Amino acid sequence: MLGIVPSATLLGVDGHAVTVEVHVTDGLPAFTVVGLPDASCREVRDRARAAIECSRLRWPLRRVTVNLAPPTVRKVGSGLDLAVAMALLVADGQLEAPALEGRAFLGELGLDGRIRPVTGTVCLTEALGDAALVLPEESVEEARLVGGRRLHPVASLAQVVACARGEEPWPEPGPPRPAAVPPPPPDLADVRGQPMARYALEVAAAGGHHLLMLGPPGAGKTMLASRLPSLLPPLSDREALEATRIHSAGGFGLPAGGLVRVPPFRAPHHGASSVALIGGGTSLMRPGEISAATHGVLFLDELAEFAPHVLDALRQPLEEHQVRVARAAATVTFPARFLLVAAMNPCPCGHGGQPGGCRCTEGARLRYQRRLSGPLLDRFDLRVEVQRPTPDDLFTAAPGEASAPVAARVLEARARAAQRGVRCNAELSARRLDEVGPLDDAATDLLLDALRAGRLSARGLHRVRRVARTVADLDGAPHELGIRHVALALNLRVDAPGTLPVQAAAG
Amino acid sequence: MTADDLAALVALAGLPGMGPRRLRALVDRRPPSEAWVLATAGHPGRLRLALRTGDDVTTLAGAWSAAARGVDPAARLAAHEAAGVSVHPHPEVVGGAPSPGADATDGPEVETMYPSGLVDDPDPPAVLFAQGSLEALDGPCVAVVGTRRCTGTGGGMARELGRELAAAGVRVVSGLALGIDGAAHRGALDALTGDPGAAPPIGVVGSGLDVPYPSRHRDLWAAVAGSGILLSEAPLGLRPAAWRFPARNRLIAALAHVVVVVESHAVGGSLHTVHEAIQRDVEVMAVPGSVRNPAAAGTNQLLAEGATPVRDVEDVLMALGLQRGRRRSRAERRPPPTATAASVLDAFDWEPATFEHLAVRTGLDLPELAVALEQLVAGGWVLAEGGWYERRVSA
Repeated sequence: MLGIVPSATLLGVDGHAVTVEVHVTDGLPAFTVVGLPDASCREVRDRARAAIECSRLRWPLRRVTVNLAPPTVRKVGSGLDLAVAMALLVADGQLEAPALEGRAFLGELGLDGRIRPVTGTVCLTEALGDAALVLPEESVEEARLVGGRRLHPVASLAQVVACARGEEPWPEPGPPRPAAVPPPPPDLADVRGQPMARYALEVAAAGGHHLLMLGPPGAGKTMLASRLPSLLPPLSDREALEATRIHSAGGFGLPAGGLVRVPPFRAPHHGASSVALIGGGTSLMRPGEISAATHGVLFLDELAEFAPHVLDALRQPLEEHQVRVARAAATVTFPARFLLVAAMNPCPCGHGGQPGGCRCTEGARLRYQRRLSGPLLDRFDLRVEVQRPTPDDLFTAAPGEASAPVAARVLEARARAAQRGVRCNAELSARRLDEVGPLDDAATDLLLDALRAGRLSARGLHRVRRVARTVADLDGAPHELGIRHVALALNLRVDAPGTLPVQAAAG
Repeated sequence: MTADDLAALVALAGLPGMGPRRLRALVDRRPPSEAWVLATAGHPGRLRLALRTGDDVTTLAGAWSAAARGVDPAARLAAHEAAGVSVHPHPEVVGGAPSPGADATDGPEVETMYPSGLVDDPDPPAVLFAQGSLEALDGPCVAVVGTRRCTGTGGGMARELGRELAAAGVRVVSGLALGIDGAAHRGALDALTGDPGAAPPIGVVGSGLDVPYPSRHRDLWAAVAGSGILLSEAPLGLRPAAWRFPARNRLIAALAHVVVVVESHAVGGSLHTVHEAIQRDVEVMAVPGSVRNPAAAGTNQLLAEGATPVRDVEDVLMALGLQRGRRRSRAERRPPPTATAASVLDAFDWEPATFEHLAVRTGLDLPELAVALEQLVAGGWVLAEGGWYERRVSA
């Protein structure tokens, strides 16, 4: 009469345990799913019927009620198919209830009874506690990352039923696949010349400072940005699991070996919608690109081509390191702790950085600059001009420093930041700055001059001091900030287009 | 010519798409009040004859008759008087055919102070609007023109030329645009603040005299009108249109005795001024720039084609036949603060450079270079703007 089977569903990046209850009784043949299922979830009826019949089992021509508890959580997708089919078979008397005791089921049914993988296996496994988990063969590697529970990888409904009837032993997972060595991220040694741009990458990696690269087309901004993951420290176990959960839940794909160990590098195209970037969607509540970039790099090429409202949606996650997406159905919180790297041309023709180099009309420049809001530009601690390398650099210059020694310096600088109690210097509060980064006299004078001359705003002051702290860490000066560090920090934060006086020369 | 004729001329000049050639054709041997009726009647056939064109003027006739609806020429003229803008018709328009039925006692004769340099121009404006003192036009005139998007060096050079030309009694005529034009006028105004005997500036603009364009130069317009003169072919209220800028450039070339191009891209409005100057046999001079500076590509091309180079104001004065005293030395007198700073300064080559360019050229450690640059900026040796540095011309 009644079958009860535990399973789980996904909301955002969190798994929620779901109890699937199926009641079969006499009456007109019917099949009702209750308990806040969405459309894809309600389709279970057609898949389960075909799968049951194809597996030489009997579809009950009776009144069937499926309840997905708790009814307050929205159930999305086809991951509950297998659990519904099993509970149905129990309720119809084709299986004994004790045979399923202590086992949870995950998987989508194919019409021929095969069992297909579901997205978000990592999060779903976590939600299911220590019950033994029957799941698709393809999902075993993901589920194994969570650890601490028995896993039974299965291929078809017929196999599951045979196991439940004791005709076959429950299958055990094979030995873990040897972790394939992921291809190394692109190396900094490929970059010729461009000492300032390289240094900006090093500072961004060491201090967690967001970086904006300005320069004409063909200056190698994209190439530089893609080298950043090779400079960042590898993810810790906790970070790796968090990143893996997001990638699993969002269906972004996991690397060979399962865990996301290398800092992710996400580069969405500038046509991205705000939902694609931030996350959400009406029913699925999928994490967006900024969450996929958690503990890694979010690279926005052609920053000014993004829709302005999409960019402004980044401001809150940049401050809070997470994003709350509220919809009528649910509110979910996605982690979003990423290093933002952006690249843009200074103006539509691309040559406007250089005095006298621009071919744009005044109006075109102003329209271009108005696309970026001041508050967003202000979030970039590092703003550097990137120029095309000269032919000499490309052909004759010795190859630049490789990523490994730079990454070692970055790791050292991050260790210094950890001693100060923050993950990286970008998170230092203004009050802590006085403590951990006092300025010597010459440095104070330099900053005062810059403030008086209007080259630096009061808001920019703290950002420059944070960057100077990182510069000093990389320079091996653990305590006082000298004029060397402050002067270089000032040069790492040039006026962004929106803040530029459009005509400085004639005044 | 009667006050009615003058009012009609003002109204005619304000019609949409009314360029100097059309206006001249309309008022040639025809009193302006009659031309006003003809232009706004909406008869394409008669209009085509009057404009002496083979083109289809149906749209134009419609646009003009629509634009003329509700326009009171006399009120227009009165508005100009009230705003302190004087109206100067071309002497041939003044002396043209009288209105039918009008005699000498009918109204006051119109006085015109049309600039003598424009009377015999091949393409003279039929009417000019002026604000400021007309005496400003008497004397040697040098046009200082160039690109709107100039380098700091170019802007500095234009300002220096403007100041020293004005101090030497030479009127600086320019277009009040962003960049070189505005810098030249600011230089001329600088000279006037130090020495009231300096020459007044002349601004020639493409929009109505009450429509400052670019609006950022509102203060500059007022200053030029206050101490010199502003000229326009457009009556009050007319917005700038793209075709008016080349027309404005021809007036600058026509008023000047020498045209100096300070910085120009390979293609640009200042090269149009040069073209107009060549047609009028006005000498063209150009300031040489670095071959790697895109804002000097046009000027360097002019030099290659035979323009006279301008190294400083003495070269311009020589071309005007006003050569005075000795050329002063340009050499920097102050020694740079440190040896490192000196090597950074040498790495500039007088063209804009980024931090990275300088790092590659000097081979210095990044923090060391940063400190040296900060010293140079603080000492006024170097100009910093948006990640770019420029060596400054010593003042």
